[in-house]
Amino acid sequence: MENQSKPVRIAALGMEQRTYSTLQLFFHGHCKDDYVLVEEKSADISIIDMDGFQAYRMLEEHKKHYPNQPSILISLSDSEALDAVYVRKPIQLEALSSALSRAKEKLQQPFTITTPPAQVSNSVLGIPPVLENIVHHAQHVTAPVGKRTSGSKQFNQYRYSADSLSDDAELELLNIKSTARFNPHNPIQTAKFQYQPQQTLQGYFQQAYFTALKTQKNVVLKGPWRPITILYKSKQLRVEKNYRHLYALSGMFFEKSEVSITILDKSIDCEPTLHETVLSVEPFLWKLSIRTSRGCVPTDTNFTAPIKLVRWPNFTRTIVTPHALRIAALWAKQPTSLIDTATYLAIPLQYVFLFYNAAFSLNYVASEASTKSHPVAQQPSAKRHKYRKILQDLLERLRNN
Amino acid sequence: MTNYKIIFTGPVGAGKTTAISSISDQSPVSTDKIATDMTRNVKKTTTVACDYGTVRLNGKDRLHLYGTPGQQRFDFMWDILTNGGIGLVLLLDNTRPDPFQDMEFFLGQFSDFINQTQIAIGITQMDLNSTPCLDDYYKHLHKLALTPPIFEVDARKRHDVTLLIKALLFSLDPGLAENHD
Repeated sequence: MENQSKPVRIAALGMEQRTYSTLQLFFHGHCKDDYVLVEEKSADISIIDMDGFQAYRMLEEHKKHYPNQPSILISLSDSEALDAVYVRKPIQLEALSSALSRAKEKLQQPFTITTPPAQVSNSVLGIPPVLENIVHHAQHVTAPVGKRTSGSKQFNQYRYSADSLSDDAELELLNIKSTARFNPHNPIQTAKFQYQPQQTLQGYFQQAYFTALKTQKNVVLKGPWRPITILYKSKQLRVEKNYRHLYALSGMFFEKSEVSITILDKSIDCEPTLHETVLSVEPFLWKLSIRTSRGCVPTDTNFTAPIKLVRWPNFTRTIVTPHALRIAALWAKQPTSLIDTATYLAIPLQYVFLFYNAAFSLNYVASEASTKSHPVAQQPSAKRHKYRKILQDLLERLRNN
Repeated sequence: MTNYKIIFTGPVGAGKTTAISSISDQSPVSTDKIATDMTRNVKKTTTVACDYGTVRLNGKDRLHLYGTPGQQRFDFMWDILTNGGIGLVLLLDNTRPDPFQDMEFFLGQFSDFINQTQIAIGITQMDLNSTPCLDDYYKHLHKLALTPPIFEVDARKRHDVTLLIKALLFSLDPGLAENHD
């Protein structure tokens, strides 16, 4: 009976800070503290992100040292591995709850494998080098900003934090889906690269933002987060100072009943309080959509319809995704389909998807009515500039300085 | 040795001199003089001929950066400066009474040059005055069927000016190669 009131100890391994924060919120709120995050060595159950660097190696090491510990593996892919419970990303609350229940059941079952005494001793008295890195990561993500310790290259791979990364590094860690085998004519393939943002924070935020623009009134978005006020005139949002944890919610779905959008009367004062800050909508939504989509595009996207640029993103204040300037310039000059864009610019399709999705979330791009594909290589407007070499040299120079 | 030009234009106080300084290889040649006209309400000195900076490219090639004087009475300089230019950077001051009027004025003055090349627009002083916002500028531009890059720019920041020029270059030729922009 006593064990029932004691929280189950969970180790979160190989996770980004935002996923870690999401779990914290989930355990505290939804699960009413039935679960608590701890270090690996004192955990009852482990949750492992299988999309991280060296995830399989980490899993192997983990199983070697904690063979009886039930594991929940979270991943973007469908594959099953080992004797583990799988939860597919984006994580849905019900799926995670169910996985935790199953892992708890496993925990209560008698062990079928006996751990050799030497291994038990090692795991208790000294953590193997690889696991040491993971444990540091777990400590890092819970520690206040600025309390980082230096470590090996391997250590750095696990201790990433969205707050401290440059834009480039952040992109690398987003596990953007590879489009190497993408076939736009295969519906099963295309479905894998599409997502539905409607029931994510991104979707609700978009709805609130466009409501504010349409009604020309400020709007409050409420849900399992602190209220977000959208200021229509300046296209800004008023949000709690520690707003970065909102990005951690990007992979979660929320029921409509959990969320509300309220249009404010013009007389209501929207000045930020001491605990709030004001941000521009564009960089916030841009980043949120990148994190939510992870390289996918919204459902119903036509991969072969020409896309035109309605306006350029404010690239001096938003994340410049790979090849974003080139894609934007091409679409401003010549509406081009997603597929043709990748071909013409000779870039991976995933970068086209990444830019398109972020720009689409803000209505910065529009699909042309025609569904015919336009081979841009034949379009005179996309021809080679007479001073291309000079422009290329200048570009190189600007990049190097 | 071949010379190429990028022209910086815009109203008084928009940051043309500062922007050229932030990317020029050497201290730019400036023709700033103490302002004696209405400009002195905006800043102490103003450009009376042009600003000039350079960026050395591979080999012997060189890119010249020319900043036009902001006052309309020097507009006879503008045609001379744009001759042989490869693109235009228009800087607009968001704290001015009517920045849209400024934009339309400069777009009109340089329309022939823009038709032959491309334009990138930087909006300065947005930290002091957040409205009008970039969407408002685009609304005005859509009437003219233009979709140039418009970025919020701090002319003192090399990063901002560099991005604006990169956007100009890709507008001229989206086929330019870059591993990661």
